[in-house]
Amino acid sequence: MAASIWSVQLHTVSAKAVELRSDYLLDCAFRGKRIVASAKNSKNVSEVVKSEKRSLPLLLQEAFTKLQESVKSLPPATLLVKRYSGVSLAIGISTIVTLLVIMVTSYVAKRSRRNRPPGSVADLVRRGQLRSDRRGISNPLKYDDPFNNPLVKVSKSNSTVEMCGKVYRLAPVTLTKEQQAVHQKRRSRAYQWKRPTLFLREGDSVPPDVDPDTIRWIPANHPFATTASEIDEDLAQTNVYQKHGVPFRIKAEHEALQRKLEALQCEQKLGKLVIDPGAAKDFESPFKTRLKMEEQLDQGPNNRQMGSKFSESESDRDSFVNKHSSEEMEKP
Amino acid sequence: MLSLQSLSNPKPSSLYSSSFTPPKTLKPIPPFRPSRNFYPSIHSLLQYNRKPQLAGDTPRVVVITSGKGGVGKTTTTANIGLSLARLGFSIVAIDCDVGLRNLDLLLGLENRVNYTVVEVLNGDCRLDQALVRDKRWSNFELLCISKPRSKLPLGFGGKALVWLVDALKARDEGAPDFILIDCPAGIDAGFITAITPANEAVLVTTPDITSLRDADRVTGLLECDGIRDIKMMVNRVRTDMIKGEDMMSVLDVQEMLGLPLLGVIPEDSEVIRSTNRGYPLVLNKPPALAGLAFEQAAWRLVEQDSMETVMVEEEPKKRGFFSFFGR
Repeated sequence: MAASIWSVQLHTVSAKAVELRSDYLLDCAFRGKRIVASAKNSKNVSEVVKSEKRSLPLLLQEAFTKLQESVKSLPPATLLVKRYSGVSLAIGISTIVTLLVIMVTSYVAKRSRRNRPPGSVADLVRRGQLRSDRRGISNPLKYDDPFNNPLVKVSKSNSTVEMCGKVYRLAPVTLTKEQQAVHQKRRSRAYQWKRPTLFLREGDSVPPDVDPDTIRWIPANHPFATTASEIDEDLAQTNVYQKHGVPFRIKAEHEALQRKLEALQCEQKLGKLVIDPGAAKDFESPFKTRLKMEEQLDQGPNNRQMGSKFSESESDRDSFVNKHSSEEMEKP
Repeated sequence: MLSLQSLSNPKPSSLYSSSFTPPKTLKPIPPFRPSRNFYPSIHSLLQYNRKPQLAGDTPRVVVITSGKGGVGKTTTTANIGLSLARLGFSIVAIDCDVGLRNLDLLLGLENRVNYTVVEVLNGDCRLDQALVRDKRWSNFELLCISKPRSKLPLGFGGKALVWLVDALKARDEGAPDFILIDCPAGIDAGFITAITPANEAVLVTTPDITSLRDADRVTGLLECDGIRDIKMMVNRVRTDMIKGEDMMSVLDVQEMLGLPLLGVIPEDSEVIRSTNRGYPLVLNKPPALAGLAFEQAAWRLVEQDSMETVMVEEEPKKRGFFSFFGR
């Protein structure tokens, strides 16, 4: 605004100055012509010179007075500057200050980012060990509620809502209780449905005293295809309700293993009584002992017994594993 | 960080002073009654100065269903669940999609699911071992029904889910406030299983005729099953298309289904980004448009409230005197 006023004022000043100058020039030219004409007409040049000598100061004085008048008619430039300088100066200073503040804050932020102590969590994020967006508990937002906060504003007339900077027109919901009831009736007529309570695989026979409407036929390739017969219902229920302790199956497996181990130990009790020098080193280097045993097997007939024992125990272990896995297969 | 203390001594908001009339059209705001024992079950950090008033008996078992696939059931479950957790309620989200579970991915908990309901039923683990606690909001727990690509021996239908709900009620640390069940698409055995323990339903739909037809059918089945408290959530709404009459408005959808509105979620590219990150939308900072809408829907769900006005179309923003300097 101020700048435009300034430019307009300056324009008027310069226009006046141009006018004045052109007046002066025209005047001079006119007078010059007159001088030439008079010189041509009159024969006495000296007279002409004399008369011009008299008139020149007059002309200059006239021009000077004209200039003075025009200058007087103009508003003083200093006054113009004084009138608008305050506003423009303030705007200029504020702009510079804002720019400076932005630059300083960005510089400080950059510096603080660089000057973080080494080994902080930020370093882990930078190295890709931690994900910055998944660290700890997310910070709670600091606004009042989701219906009235800096991001969601309802207009005073309740006709619009501003969400995330976008304004949306609001319209009242027209659904009434009666309409809801009508829709419910329509649906109850359209969809007659009983919740299926029995799930049968396709091809199974329908048990007696069962409402055929409540049977759900499941195709064999459906994720639900393995049906109730494979899990004991009561057992499953107790498993779900179990709060403490070892889960049922883990416990059962553990007990079965222990029983088998005990049985094995009983069978091999006599054999175990024989102290085996190789077995003492078992804990230290099992790989070495195995090699040793293999060597012994190859070397002498005296050690064949031991070798056979080893192979026996191996085969036992294998059979146990097989048994165990087959049992697992049996169980669902 | 705000603590529970701010609840016992809440400052009256300047926005709700006598001069300000609360926005009636969006949602009636109940008067706040400060009390120390107002929410006995809340044991988490507060997000808002105000809190929604929990209506109904706990645990509230809510099934989130749609009929049609790909309308945003799992996204809704994840976002509503975490919004509720941020409001201080304890939540258990059950992913009932047997073969195609995805809720763990949306929540970013895919690497932490070791046990599922199938293992619990088999006795391979206890129920508390199968619950995956979210580290961001510790009052949110995830329970998956089975591992992907595995068959579920749920021949006895929804009984297993009823047992689960009963077991969760009888937990030592107290029953959860909400049990959210993410229902699989379709009206097959998975759907029947998922709706069995539910008392109320959230029907997610998009404003197109395919999902509306499925939604209507699913609503009919839910009503036949005795679930009367059904609210709908219209997802992926595009106000620009509504303005151009290329998309049904939310009011049109409501006219077709005749269900009260829990929320309207605008189409937002942030949804895809948040899915990619495994970081639900409502945890975004700054919150996205869809995230805000999910938060509002969660608030309404707590108070068993429904929308009274809906966003119809976008209007050009009125520019003020200083708009020259800003956006």
